[in-house]
Amino acid sequence: MNLKHAARRLHLRGLTPLLTLFVLCAFTALATDRFLSPLNLTNILVQSSIMAVIALGMTFVIIGGGFDLSVGSTVALSGCIAALVMVKAGLPLGVVAGIGAGALIGLINGLVIALLGVNAFITTLGTMVLIRGVVFLMTAGAPVGDEGLPSAFVAFGSRRFLGIHYLVWVPAVLLALLSWVMHNTPHGRRIYAVGGGRDAAYLSGIPVQRVIASTYVWCGTLAGIAGVMLAARLQSGQPTAGEFYELTAIAAVVLGGAALHGGEGTLYKSVIGVFIMVVLGNSLNLLNVDSYWQRVAIGAVIIAAAAADRLRWRR
Amino acid sequence: MKQSTVLARRITKHFGATTALDDVDFDVMPGEIHALVGENGAGKSTLIRILGGVHGPDRGEIYVGGQACRFSSPREAIAAGIATIPQELRLVPALSVAENMALGDFLVWRRFGLAVGLDRARMRQEARETLQVLDFAPNPDCPVRQLTFGERQLVAIGKALRRRCRVLILDEPTAALDSHEIKRLFGVLGRMKEQGVAIIYISHRLDEIVSLADRCTILRDGHVVAVSRRGEFDVAALVQAMTGRIAHDIQAETPSPGDTLLEEPQSPEDGMRLRAGEVVGLAGLLGSGKDLILRRLFGVESEPARVLIKGVPKRLSNPSHAVAAGIGMVSGERDLGLILNQSVRDNILLASLDRLGSLKGFDRSAADRIVNTLVELLDIRPRQAELKVSALSGGNQQKVILAKWLAREVDILLLDDPTQGVDVAAKTQIHVLVRDFAKRGGGVLLGSSDLSELAHLCDTVVALRRGRACARMERTDSLSEQMLLRAIGG
Repeated sequence: MNLKHAARRLHLRGLTPLLTLFVLCAFTALATDRFLSPLNLTNILVQSSIMAVIALGMTFVIIGGGFDLSVGSTVALSGCIAALVMVKAGLPLGVVAGIGAGALIGLINGLVIALLGVNAFITTLGTMVLIRGVVFLMTAGAPVGDEGLPSAFVAFGSRRFLGIHYLVWVPAVLLALLSWVMHNTPHGRRIYAVGGGRDAAYLSGIPVQRVIASTYVWCGTLAGIAGVMLAARLQSGQPTAGEFYELTAIAAVVLGGAALHGGEGTLYKSVIGVFIMVVLGNSLNLLNVDSYWQRVAIGAVIIAAAAADRLRWRR
Repeated sequence: MKQSTVLARRITKHFGATTALDDVDFDVMPGEIHALVGENGAGKSTLIRILGGVHGPDRGEIYVGGQACRFSSPREAIAAGIATIPQELRLVPALSVAENMALGDFLVWRRFGLAVGLDRARMRQEARETLQVLDFAPNPDCPVRQLTFGERQLVAIGKALRRRCRVLILDEPTAALDSHEIKRLFGVLGRMKEQGVAIIYISHRLDEIVSLADRCTILRDGHVVAVSRRGEFDVAALVQAMTGRIAHDIQAETPSPGDTLLEEPQSPEDGMRLRAGEVVGLAGLLGSGKDLILRRLFGVESEPARVLIKGVPKRLSNPSHAVAAGIGMVSGERDLGLILNQSVRDNILLASLDRLGSLKGFDRSAADRIVNTLVELLDIRPRQAELKVSALSGGNQQKVILAKWLAREVDILLLDDPTQGVDVAAKTQIHVLVRDFAKRGGGVLLGSSDLSELAHLCDTVVALRRGRACARMERTDSLSEQMLLRAIGG
């Protein structure tokens, strides 16, 4: 009982995700000598960057009261389309096509869920499988564009700006921009309102369906950006890229304190959630934990995050 | 001397920093109807939740039939014979009457000591026999979803009886009933009384309590302020004890309505017509369609409303259209008007988001100004706009919903039982606000099941039966409750 009270007080200050991350980092730093090496820290940042972009989009959907399982497949589709178009039509068109593909998938998800009222879990489970199939058809199952990608694109995936990888700048800029959208525009406040009480929002004259659909467009677009980033990092479009990314992203958002029933959540805390997931994987690697056991551990963390979500919102 | 069925002594309960109950004594005798009254937040709900095993008290003892009890779950309270009939009935809509009554305690066929299936015949038989005591004979195989609210309530009471409850707690049982159903419920309560069941009765309808209760305990701010026997209290005395204030009526000024704000040209007989400065009431029993009219005008019904707003034809097929046309709606169901996990401030601004901001962001200073003015004007307590709206009492929540529409500067308010479950003091404040809104040139369409509210507040009352306007009465005809009751066929 006391523990619960203490935990609740801590959560009131909103520090739980940050503290979790800190404890995890401190533990790994003490248990291994390589954790704090510049190379390892840079690795963690770069690994987190792509997942962070996906988690930002997922936060929009989850705050709006929804759910999106299709982001992993979208990452693969956007990466492959970007690579294919880039080879034929140049860098700018390739990037636009990759991100546009993500936005389109988000729009399809959003329309089916918001207008037809189909359950979000089933809809995005469907698009997840469907898109993966399309990617394999499109690429015949082999990596694309690994020969003739523009050098600027490859450089974007590996070079640094002001000592920090370009890939890390992307989520940093997006986080600042989207936090502002979420908190300072009517659109952002509407997303919170719809997730917090759909009927009440509807009866206040808010176009609920449009708002819900828009959260999926955000999510798809951001997954598209993540796909293009991943293609730059892998220097090719990989049809198998992004598998299980959706689960990591959802776990990260929940670890960051968003409520699975909607209406609550903060973008920067979702990014902290991503760091928790990535540092956990990194820590298990450094501790030489068997990769099969790593899956067991990460699965357990996802369940624990969901259980904590239940405990937190129980009255 | 007879022994109390339930005796609660020196009950104290804190929630965080607030003291919900402070040293409260309460008891109920066999065959007694003991009413519990108080404003919202006075501690009534906390007390019945403690008796029902939902919360444990921080201090104090509970005795059931003379035995000290400590409930750690509702299940234990039910086992001890304490049954609660909450406002939201805990029945499963898809299951039949008989199944619902047996739920949690299913009757099964046993073979060799193993449960092999439901004994449906006996379940039906028991359901029929129990409900017969309540003078209610539904088909036991009928899914509960097909029953009216009043009938479901009887099923819930029957379920409690079947478990041999000794104490029946009713929380606002008449809030959603029409006058026939209320009469039937009172008959049922009378019969249960004869059988020696102790009844704890909570209601905001004070006239009911005066006519029904043998004893009445009045709570204010977590304390017992008075316990009186039948005949020792009347409505005015209850109000004064509950609020510490003297009840007073609103004096509406003589109406001088202005331009027509809203009319329905297509159905001149049944259509609504609302002028600036006017409060038009809709009176009718449950099922008379008064809520449908309000919902239709707000664009919530599937059939879009075609109306003239200030002479301009509009088609209202969803709430966005209605809000854009300057219409706001307040429903008695507060969770339909509020985003409960958001702050008072966010809720007040909810309908005005598009006005206050563009892609360039919010006009924060304008928003602050609006919120502060309205919190002050509507006397929303506590005066903390950043507080989550779920922490407010029912009356203050309802004021936040009103504030939402005042922030939007609507011309027309549609009110659907706006003071349902609201305490007397907040009710008076809401009435003043409604009159004030009309005085400033707004138009109000007020549907209410509270006839005294209609008689006090409205310039015109339209009586409805089965969706049709059957009478129209003006304030100048000296509106009265009796007159309204006759008109709606109660």
